[in-house]
Amino acid sequence: MFTRFTGSELAFSVLDELYSTASKGSEIEFVKRLLDLVDYVLSERPASMATINILRQVGLYITERGFSGVDKYILELKEKYQAILDRAVEVMARRITSGEVLLSNSNSLAVRKLLSLLAKQGKSIKLYVTESRPGGEGLLLAEYAENLGFDVYLIVDSAARFFMKSIDKVVVGAEAVASNGAVVSKIGTSLIALAAKEARKRVFVVAPTVKFSPETLHGELLKLPEHDWKLLVSSEEAARLPENYSARVPLYDVTPPEYIDAIVTEYGLFAPQALPLVLSLVEKSGFTIARPIEEIVSSLKRRVGV
Amino acid sequence: MTTYPQRVLEIASGIREMKIRGAGRIARAAAEALKIAALEYTGERDLEAFKRYMTNVGELLVSTRPTAVSLPNAVVYVLSSLRRVSSFSEAREAVVKRAEMFIFESEEATRRIGQIGARRIKENSVILTHCHSTAAVGVIIEAFKQGRVIRVYSTETRPAYQGRITFTHLAKSGVPVTQIPDSAVRYVINEVDYVVVGADTVASNGAVVNKIGTSQVTLAAKEARTRVYVAAESYKFSPLTLIGELVTIEYRSPEEIVPREWLEKHPRIKVLNPVFDVTPPEYIDAIITEHGVIPPQAAVLILIEKLGWALDFQGYSEGKLDLNRIVSL
Repeated sequence: MFTRFTGSELAFSVLDELYSTASKGSEIEFVKRLLDLVDYVLSERPASMATINILRQVGLYITERGFSGVDKYILELKEKYQAILDRAVEVMARRITSGEVLLSNSNSLAVRKLLSLLAKQGKSIKLYVTESRPGGEGLLLAEYAENLGFDVYLIVDSAARFFMKSIDKVVVGAEAVASNGAVVSKIGTSLIALAAKEARKRVFVVAPTVKFSPETLHGELLKLPEHDWKLLVSSEEAARLPENYSARVPLYDVTPPEYIDAIVTEYGLFAPQALPLVLSLVEKSGFTIARPIEEIVSSLKRRVGV
Repeated sequence: MTTYPQRVLEIASGIREMKIRGAGRIARAAAEALKIAALEYTGERDLEAFKRYMTNVGELLVSTRPTAVSLPNAVVYVLSSLRRVSSFSEAREAVVKRAEMFIFESEEATRRIGQIGARRIKENSVILTHCHSTAAVGVIIEAFKQGRVIRVYSTETRPAYQGRITFTHLAKSGVPVTQIPDSAVRYVINEVDYVVVGADTVASNGAVVNKIGTSQVTLAAKEARTRVYVAAESYKFSPLTLIGELVTIEYRSPEEIVPREWLEKHPRIKVLNPVFDVTPPEYIDAIITEHGVIPPQAAVLILIEKLGWALDFQGYSEGKLDLNRIVSL
């Protein structure tokens, strides 16, 4: 379920799932589905902050205002998410001029929206994409950019430093942003950012503030999921390898804020370290209330008697 | 028209057709061919005629793989024995002896690199390696036998997955090894004590040309203050870089990265597949050669000592290796 989804895609599909469950009209069924989703996301996608923040919001709505109107509320959240993503993308697009060469990895929805906006604005850019193992989502991003008419160069993950000199800007999406401005993103992002810094190329992270992890303000560490060899080799390939073939396959890594030139949000573009400050100044967005999700889960459980 | 012994021609075509592969094997095959050529020489028993003949054999061998640095190194090493000889029989003996010496030394080299390199690894170490290198794996296995290695991370090494060969090679020796995707190097590097990699070519300034991704691995290692060792036999050092030649980085077929059908479906996507990258000397703590551990910046020492002709600009004409000059200086 949801495995190939990027952070924002996961959030949107969870919103759709919640909406269709809510429309069935049964509070108990809805709350059970909500609790299942919380379980799934916390165990399989513990770094996907947008989804966790959305589940927190919906759970909070139920505990504070009950079941009635939750379907409408979910639709509002979805529209709001789309709007803030679009605003962040508009801000990023202003920083890109025609003729520039960009590098990205994975298949971030924010980056796709950016490319599509650039195409609409008639800005012609060239895009380098790393294939982004494990998963290989870079191929999907390359296809997307090709359809928009851009020149696309696909490279292996190992070749990021080799081509860094030919690049003007690195633009990536995020799974989560921690309170110190560190960014959790697809595995390999921190290596690309390091190579960019070495070559004095600018690194931009497009991440609406829904990706901010309020728990990290209280010192919580973000949990990064790891998988095993099954994500690296097919079973036929494994048959040709030693029986004890083992692998460690992290899905995300942490890019320190000093390698990021700017984080690009719906409130504008600023240093990643400033994100908690900006949020505290504009905090009425409703997305980032720091009530622990475990607390919400237990009151939901009491509510439906499980 | 000179004729060459049949076996010499077979070796030459074996190298050209890549039946003989790997820097060490190519170099030893070339030395062997020169030895056979000298022993089976049937021409005039005259020193100058013999030198001309050997030069021609050398040129034939060098031309078989223009980009393999070990090949000209082996040929020059053997043929430079013709410099200080005064008679035909002395010359023939010198070539045979030098060829045998090269073969023996190059086989010894990898073993000695293992022993020397293992001394640099402290107890309870975690090592990371990229791609597959016989010399690097030799260091790791020797260190493991001495009880110094607790875990090895091996990158899978796209596009050709040589990391799987490394995994198999290490696992057979009982080394606890874990494969990681190339993108996860920085993620694990804080747990790693040493990066040990091989080299394709070592340039005269100490820069190391090796499998694509090596420079990124060493960059992450430097950031984490993890030591980086390059295991490289002396025949990997490139004399031509001393006169300013650049090492050409070959781009291979996109089909190594994505299937042909995908490429046909996506004509506007160019798949770029450089085979090697260049690691600057400042990211390397030491190069481990069979002659000892040297800082990369001292690569020129190996070039002078092992490939002495390299400093002798008269060994070249018009920026190219000139074997006629090598044998007659």
